[in-house]
Amino acid sequence: MSDEKKYTGYPPYAPGTHIRESDIQERKISYSWWEPEVQYAWSAGHAMNVFLKGLKNGKIMGIHCKPCKRVIIPPRMFCEYCYGPTDEWIELPDTGIIETYSISYLDSDARRIKEPILIGVIDIDGADPHHGFMHYFGEMSKEEIKIGMKVKAVWKPENEREGSITDIKYFKPL
Amino acid sequence: MTFGEKQTDPLAKTHWRGDMQADYFYPAGVAGDKFFKHLKENDSFLATKCNKCDKVLFPARLYCEDCFEEIPDADWMEVPATGVVRLFTIATLNAHGEKLENPKVMALIDVDQTDGAILGVINMVDLNKDYIGLKVKAALKQKEKREGTLKDIIHWELV
Amino acid sequence: MKDVAVIGAGMTLFRRHLKETGKELSYYATKMAMEEAGIQKDDVDMVVMGSAPDAFDGIHMKGENLIDGAAAAGKPYVRVFNGGGTGVFGPIAGWWHVASGVADVVVVTCEEKMGNCYPHPQTAFRHIWDPILDRPLNPNLVWLFAMEYNRYMTTYNIKKEYIAEVAVKNKRNAVGHPSAQLADANITVDDVLNSEIMAWPVNRLDISPPSDGAATLIYCSKDVVHKYTDDPVYVAGVGWNIDSTMWTNRDLSFPRYVAKAAKMCYKKAGILNPPKDVDFVEPYDPFTYKELHHLEGLLMCKKGEAANMTHEGVTQRDGDLPVCPSGGLLGVGNPIAATMGQKVCEVYWQLAGKAGKRQIPGDPRVGVGQACGDIMQMATVIALRRG
Repeated sequence: MSDEKKYTGYPPYAPGTHIRESDIQERKISYSWWEPEVQYAWSAGHAMNVFLKGLKNGKIMGIHCKPCKRVIIPPRMFCEYCYGPTDEWIELPDTGIIETYSISYLDSDARRIKEPILIGVIDIDGADPHHGFMHYFGEMSKEEIKIGMKVKAVWKPENEREGSITDIKYFKPL
Repeated sequence: MTFGEKQTDPLAKTHWRGDMQADYFYPAGVAGDKFFKHLKENDSFLATKCNKCDKVLFPARLYCEDCFEEIPDADWMEVPATGVVRLFTIATLNAHGEKLENPKVMALIDVDQTDGAILGVINMVDLNKDYIGLKVKAALKQKEKREGTLKDIIHWELV
Repeated sequence: MKDVAVIGAGMTLFRRHLKETGKELSYYATKMAMEEAGIQKDDVDMVVMGSAPDAFDGIHMKGENLIDGAAAAGKPYVRVFNGGGTGVFGPIAGWWHVASGVADVVVVTCEEKMGNCYPHPQTAFRHIWDPILDRPLNPNLVWLFAMEYNRYMTTYNIKKEYIAEVAVKNKRNAVGHPSAQLADANITVDDVLNSEIMAWPVNRLDISPPSDGAATLIYCSKDVVHKYTDDPVYVAGVGWNIDSTMWTNRDLSFPRYVAKAAKMCYKKAGILNPPKDVDFVEPYDPFTYKELHHLEGLLMCKKGEAANMTHEGVTQRDGDLPVCPSGGLLGVGNPIAATMGQKVCEVYWQLAGKAGKRQIPGDPRVGVGQACGDIMQMATVIALRRG
C-alpha cells in the first residue's frame, strides 16, 4: 500500500467497507433478514383476454390499426404510436421467422445449466415486420439456429392448454 | 374496436395470478453493526452525541442528519437500557389483519439520557391503564442466546 | 432559463456487497461532493435523489428512507427513477430545479444497494417482464441483452473480437480509479472470449457486475457560481426519450430512443457535428456491445461502425474520441443509479481537469454522458461544457 503512488485526482478516495459473502454467511456483521410474501392478480385487460383465449384454441390473434395500417402482435386495445383505438381482430398463422435468439447456459434464476435453453423473438407471418413475441425454440441444435430461419409453433395438446403463452411449447424449424 | 367490445364470457381470464419472490438481507451498517455488537455483549445501549447541535442521537448513527457532520468514535456513549413511555397503543390485530390471541401493548419509549426513542412491546397488558409517562426497562435475552439483532430485546417491563 | 454549473461531485467504493446501509453510502458521497464544492448543509436549497427499483434495497419508498444521508432532512426533495437511465436522469431533474430558477444550489444523489436482494439481484430483475406475455416463460434478464446483442452483431456483421475489445479498454481504463470493482491492467481479448458463456453471445466478461454504491453531483446557478469557482463547468444540454414497452415490436439493432434523446440534447447544446464537436463520451456500458450500440445511437458514427472505431483505437483515452475514460460500468461497477459517478461526475471531473490518472490529454471542452434503462426503452443524455 505504501509503495503505491498517492492518487491525485477526483474522487480523492473511495469510502465504503467491502464485505464478502463469507462475512454474511458467518454472521460477522450485524444484519436482519426478511422474506416478503406478496401475491398479485394482474388485470389482463380485454386485448390480452382475447389473445389468451385464442391461444387456448390453438390460434394466434393479432389486431389491426387503421391509421397506421399495421397488423400488431401482441394485440393491444390502443395503438401506442397514433394513440387511437385498434380495430379488427385478425387470426394469424402460427409460423414466422426468427428475429433474434440467444443460447443460454443460465436458467431463470441465473444458475448454470449444462444443456442450453434456446430463446428468442419470432416475427409472426402476416403481422408487420419486426412484430412478434418471445418464445423458446426446440427441435434444433445451437449450431443450426439462425436469424431469419423459418419456424412453426408446436402446441400443447388441446386438453392441456390453459389460455397462456405456454400453450405453445416452442417453435421448431419449418 | 376493442374499446367498444363488451366482455360477456364469465369464464374469460380477467386476471393473471402470480407472486413476487425475493429474499432480503439488510446489513445494519457501520453504525448499526457497532450498536448491535455492543448489545450482544452488554446490558446497555450505545448512542452518539453530535457536538454541533448537542443532540444525543438514538439509535446511534454515523452522522447527524441535521448538521450533516460525521460523528467520531470518541463521541459514542453508553446509555442504560431504560426509558419512559411517550405514546402507546393496544394492538388487537396482527400485521395481516387477523385477530391476536392476546392483545399487545406497543409503545414508543423515550430512551433515558438520549434525544431518541425506540418502539417496543410492554409485557404487562391492562386495557384500562394509561401507560404514558411510566418508567420501563428492557428485558434482554441471556447473553449466550443473543444474536446481535433487535430481537435480543424480548420486551419492556414496567419499573 | 438560467445557466447551470456543476461545482462538486463525489462517489463511494463500488463492490458486490458493502457493509454500509444505503443512508450511510449516500452520506459518504454527498459529504465528499459538498467538501469539493465548499458548501454546508444550510447552503443546499433542494435535493434530488435518483435510485432504481425499491426491489434491490428491499425497502419500499426507499427514496424517502435515504434522504437523511443526502442532506435532505427538512428540505424540498424529489426522487426520480427510470431504471438504468436514472444515473443521468437524476442530473437532468436536478438541472430542471436550477434552470427554472426555483433553486440556486441543488444536490443530486444517486444510490443503490443491489446486494440486499438475496441471493442475487436477478430475482428482482425477474419482475420487470410482462406478467402475461413474458414471465410464464421464466426469462432471465441476461437473455434480453443477449438477444439484442445477437441482432446488433448479425445485422452489421460485427466480429465478436471487436466487441470484446470494449471490455479490455474499459477494465484497463478503470485501473487507478479508487472506486473500481473490476479494474484489470492485464486483461486481453482472449480472456473475454474464453470466459464462460452465460447466454450466447454474452460471455461472463461481457457483463458489468451488480454493485452497491452511491454518487453525488452538486449544481449551482450562474448567479452564484462566482462564490465557488473561477472556471465553471456548465450543463450545455439535456435530452431524454422513451420508446414503447413492446420491445418485441422494435428493431433492436439501433436504439432510436437514444438518437432522439441525443438530438434533443445536442440542439440545446449547439452540437451540430457530434464526432467533431464533442471531445469525449461516457455512454452507458452494462454490456460490451452496449457501448457500441449507444455510440451509434448518440450519432458519434454511422450505424455498424462503432466496433471498427474501437478496433482502430479511436476510443482509447489518447484517441481522437475517448470513450469511457472512467472505466465505465465494465471496469468500475454497476450500482444502477449510482453509475452517475462514472457517467456524469466523470465528465465534470475530466472537464475541470481533476481526473488525475484518468485525465484525457489535450484541452477537453465538451463531454457527453448517457444512460439507458428499463427494457431497452429509456435514454437519458447530458452534455457538459467548460467555458
